[in-house]
Amino acid sequence: MYIFITVVGIAVTLFFLAGFWRGLQNAIAEYRGGAPERSDVPDYGYGGLAAVSVIASAVIIAGAGFSPAMIYAGPLLALVTAAGCGLAFFVEQKG
Amino acid sequence: MDKSIFAAMPSLTPTLGFASMIGLGLFSLALSYAVKTLLVRNTHDFIIADRRVGFGFGVGSVIAVWTWAMAVMMSSAMTYQWGLSGLFWFVVPNGFAVMAMIPFARILRKNMPEGYTISEFIEYRFSRSKVATAIVTVTMIFGIILEILINLKGTSVVVSTVFGIDWKVATVVGIICVLAYSYFGGLWTSVMTGTLNTLMITVPAAIVVAAVYAVIPGGSEAVFKAAGEADARNLSVLRPDAAAGFGITLAFGLLAATVSDQTFWQKVWAIKSRDVGRVFLWSGALFYPIPICLGMLGLVGIAYGLKPSDFGGDIVAVGPYIVSHIGLGLTLVLLYVLVILAACYSTIDGASAALSSVVAVDIVKRYFPQTSESSLFVITKLSVLLGGIVATLIVLSGLDFTTLVLTTYALKTSILLPLVLSILWPKTNMVGFVGGIVLAIAVGMPIYATAGELIGTLSIVAISGLTVLVAGLIGGKDFDLAGLRRVGDEVSAPAE
Repeated sequence: MYIFITVVGIAVTLFFLAGFWRGLQNAIAEYRGGAPERSDVPDYGYGGLAAVSVIASAVIIAGAGFSPAMIYAGPLLALVTAAGCGLAFFVEQKG
Repeated sequence: MDKSIFAAMPSLTPTLGFASMIGLGLFSLALSYAVKTLLVRNTHDFIIADRRVGFGFGVGSVIAVWTWAMAVMMSSAMTYQWGLSGLFWFVVPNGFAVMAMIPFARILRKNMPEGYTISEFIEYRFSRSKVATAIVTVTMIFGIILEILINLKGTSVVVSTVFGIDWKVATVVGIICVLAYSYFGGLWTSVMTGTLNTLMITVPAAIVVAAVYAVIPGGSEAVFKAAGEADARNLSVLRPDAAAGFGITLAFGLLAATVSDQTFWQKVWAIKSRDVGRVFLWSGALFYPIPICLGMLGLVGIAYGLKPSDFGGDIVAVGPYIVSHIGLGLTLVLLYVLVILAACYSTIDGASAALSSVVAVDIVKRYFPQTSESSLFVITKLSVLLGGIVATLIVLSGLDFTTLVLTTYALKTSILLPLVLSILWPKTNMVGFVGGIVLAIAVGMPIYATAGELIGTLSIVAISGLTVLVAGLIGGKDFDLAGLRRVGDEVSAPAE
């Protein structure tokens, strides 16, 4: 599992850095472009998704009390966090 | 399980410790200088990043400022003390507290699009009431100073423990490293270095925890079995004593820590308006795995039957002790130190950036409105240094933080419901807002001191909330939040 997590960790790091580079380029381009920012705030409340993530975190912690394999869910999900941050750069809209 | 496996590593020298601290600082300084050159021309850019922080930097930086150095260690410590119930009560409210910002952030960003600080909102919400505004401003400053000094203290303790560096020297080196780069680019620097720090927290944490389980004979199965044999409750999340012992109090404290914290409000007004809601959703959800991952070190401590006396008496040190004594290679131990340093630096630079917005908007522009842009820019940057210096002097003085911690706790918890109601309930008025906070402190804190944390916290929250409700129902006037759209930009970018 250690080798697997290390290899996936390296891949996730590269993905994250690619996203970071994209985000940095976007930020500089927008700053230089100087176009006024929109001020609209979408109406989504995100209550359902927030509830799902709260419940999921509780289930994962509880799961570590039922199966030793679930102990590795923490490290694997930490890689999901890094990947998620990288993904956020790719799904953001330019301008 | 045989705990003779734990042994000190002689290769962890002070030179390595300094190299780790200064190396991360120099890397951040180089990035900060580039950010300053490319993205920061004036006070507006420095304190609010021209309101152009995108989705990616928003998510990465919110996770980074919420991942305190102490939280990295506390997740292991709470698991060690209470089993999985400790991890449950530490983790679940933590991510929820970030997501709880979503409704308030959406409302204020929509109705007050040119805002900078939560104190500025209170100023306009309560007809420029000096008392209400001053209470919120002081609360924000106290909270920021506390954030800086707690992270500084926690990190200096870890670095001094792992590398044998004098903790006072570690404190000074640590703060110089952070302030050197925070000074240049303000919020943009904080956002970008924070985002990179999220990478430096998550991937190394995953690798180090997996490595710890890899060196344990029998791995996760052996730890699972030994932890259950030590006490079956270690593998349950349903221990009521964990909830009563710290869980419920912590949940309120964490809510107050986000909703009553300018570090988060600054981001609400700096992130692109269309991304504000989903940034806090993703950040809260993606934060969860960090303490879950590091909490698994606590199970190792239980399985091996470690006693607090094995690692200096403070259970917060259980994680660092396991990683630095269980026989990992030097690189892996340094990776763990990097996790703690990254958490420390990102929280301190986020707090420093928040302080700069409070100083610029709530002090200089409010009390000295004629201050020129060039003077404001200099003062704003110097405030970053001042906050760090004050926090460092408090840490170095060896003073007991208890008074500051209790004062900040009292202010933040007392302000929580009045602040929430001032955003959500139009009938909230100035008398209820100020009265709720004052009564909660005057009556609730003595209850807290005599009846304990749980009853005290519930009392403070109840007194503050009920006072606002009663005053609002008696007062009767509705406030039109949409009227705040007329509030202009206090620190608008000067014309080119």
